[in-house]
Amino acid sequence: MFRLPAGTYFQTYQQAHRFWPTRFMTLRMIGLLAVLFVAVPLVANNYVLSIANRIGYTILAAMGVQLLIGFTGQLTLGHAAFVAVGAYASAIFTLTAVENADIPFWGFLSQAGLAYPLSVVAACLLSGLWSVLFGLPSARVKGFGIILTTMAAQFITVNFIIAQYVSQIGGRGHYFSLPAGTVKIGPWALAGDRDAYFWMLILVVLVTAAMNNWKRTRPGRAWLAIRDNDIAAEVLGVNIVRYKLLAYFAAGILAGLAGSFWITSLFFVSPEHFEWSNSLWWVGVILIGGVGAVDGTIFGAIFLELMLVLVNSFSAANLDFLYFKDIAFGLAIILFLLYEPNGLAYRWWQIKNYFYLWPFSYK
Amino acid sequence: MELLVQLLVAGTLVGSIYALVALGWALIYKSSGVLNLAMGELTLIGAYVCLTFYNWGIPFPLAILGSLIIGGVLGLLVERLVLRPLIGEPILTVIMVTVGLSFLFKGLVGLIWGTDTQVFTPPVFPAEPIRVGPITISPVFLGGFVAALLLLVAFTWFFQRTRWGLAMQATADDQMAALSLGVSAKLVYAIAWAIAFMAAGVGGIFLGIINGLNVSVSFLGLLVLPAVVLGGLNSVPGAIVGGVLIGILQNLAGGYLDPLIPGGIKEVFPLAFMAVVLLFKPYGLWGWQKIERV
Repeated sequence: MFRLPAGTYFQTYQQAHRFWPTRFMTLRMIGLLAVLFVAVPLVANNYVLSIANRIGYTILAAMGVQLLIGFTGQLTLGHAAFVAVGAYASAIFTLTAVENADIPFWGFLSQAGLAYPLSVVAACLLSGLWSVLFGLPSARVKGFGIILTTMAAQFITVNFIIAQYVSQIGGRGHYFSLPAGTVKIGPWALAGDRDAYFWMLILVVLVTAAMNNWKRTRPGRAWLAIRDNDIAAEVLGVNIVRYKLLAYFAAGILAGLAGSFWITSLFFVSPEHFEWSNSLWWVGVILIGGVGAVDGTIFGAIFLELMLVLVNSFSAANLDFLYFKDIAFGLAIILFLLYEPNGLAYRWWQIKNYFYLWPFSYK
Repeated sequence: MELLVQLLVAGTLVGSIYALVALGWALIYKSSGVLNLAMGELTLIGAYVCLTFYNWGIPFPLAILGSLIIGGVLGLLVERLVLRPLIGEPILTVIMVTVGLSFLFKGLVGLIWGTDTQVFTPPVFPAEPIRVGPITISPVFLGGFVAALLLLVAFTWFFQRTRWGLAMQATADDQMAALSLGVSAKLVYAIAWAIAFMAAGVGGIFLGIINGLNVSVSFLGLLVLPAVVLGGLNSVPGAIVGGVLIGILQNLAGGYLDPLIPGGIKEVFPLAFMAVVLLFKPYGLWGWQKIERV
């Protein structure tokens, strides 16, 4: 929990339960949103925007991992599988609508620009269900067992089902590409980094708000209880299996969102985008950011993606970049776990508290 | 019928290599409770070190010995620098630190040795297959089998006859009791990592000779996970049996299922099988039943 600035007291529960409890916080967050929505697109060029999009994609994907690991305590190392399901579901749905434009139903969808929004919904549901399927063993095992099941999910889904079978649908060959102008939300065609940036911001803001609010709802409290002590939670009447599966479903929905955003920022999907290393990468994001902290997910994503940019600018040859990327990521995880195990979110919390309590910081 | 016997034999021979790697994994888990996801990269390192020695003109058995020594030293270093400060931390921390290690090793291996598939030249084993009745056996598989068997016997001797081996058994059995009797847990962890590096390295050498040496060998190293799950996480004999069984199952899947469901079923089948085992028999064949359940 945050500390309040010196001299601020709440008199009603309503005040204490507000999303942004103090006026300063509200102003700060509105200011941040204004910068992100207005100032950044005005100044930034396409390169910066594309980096921002990568950061946004990492945030979206890692939020699902954060929900499973940070909120519910279910270790997952196969999140890329669910993101892949989302991306492929969305791409196939959108492409079907475009290619069958002479059939009235699909034609209407692609004319009205409903194909992509509907595909997002379908992708979320599908990856949610797929995630629940592989979450089922969590009813029987925990800890290492769950890690292995999610790992199996990764290899079965991406390396086998998607690479061998789904990629063959429609005879498009190894990867699906979406022609320009196919991805439309109503009249708004997502045609480049700038459009994808706004769509990314909307999604990230929604997901961040949802994650923060989930913590305050009944399922969220149940998840936190399961994470902290599952036996105690069960004794208190929390239906463990139901809430665990709900967590998998919610994480799957977030993965579906991430996947359907991915196709707008790159316009094609390939099984190579969803390797096991991506799953590990996202777990690394939440470790570096801080396990259980929603803002930590964002810090971790920014840290790792900027680290990539840095590594990229140092290494000249293209192949070397891959090795340096692996080395940098491995070192980052090891060093963070050894020297900053609470992550960047904890550091940020300390900095905030220093200023809130100043000049009376007695701790 | 011939196909069945052929697949069984090939599976047993490859499985013995998996068993060797799985032994290293189970040893670390049993003595220190660390779930090691860097096993695939450990196999890579051993294989590349051996290849380098071999390319320098050192005879193959000596090259294996050299990679064993280097593997042991690396194991001691990794344990001291990375794993020891994290003793007693939550499971996520320990697993992710091994993930970090695996990325680090993968990057370093790529940087030093490149990504091209490399082969041992001149070939270590003759390409001519050995025929026993209707069955053909490739000498590489046989060599791997013999080496795995030798190492397994050596490790068994180490655990049952030497002072350090007995200390490791005691620690694995009851850590608190072993500590109070004066066994140094640090020493035990260090030896466990050294042995894991050595076993994985030898496994990697033979997998590398069979398929050609590149990064995909590290995926084969990951197949130890189904093996140890099948055997029961904390059973060393279970890991060995599990390794052999996974080798056989993988070959049977490749022989019989591949024509029905084409495309890479051989690689995925052990992992799918692992998911099923976890669902119905979470503690494997010989694992402790007190393994944590919901």
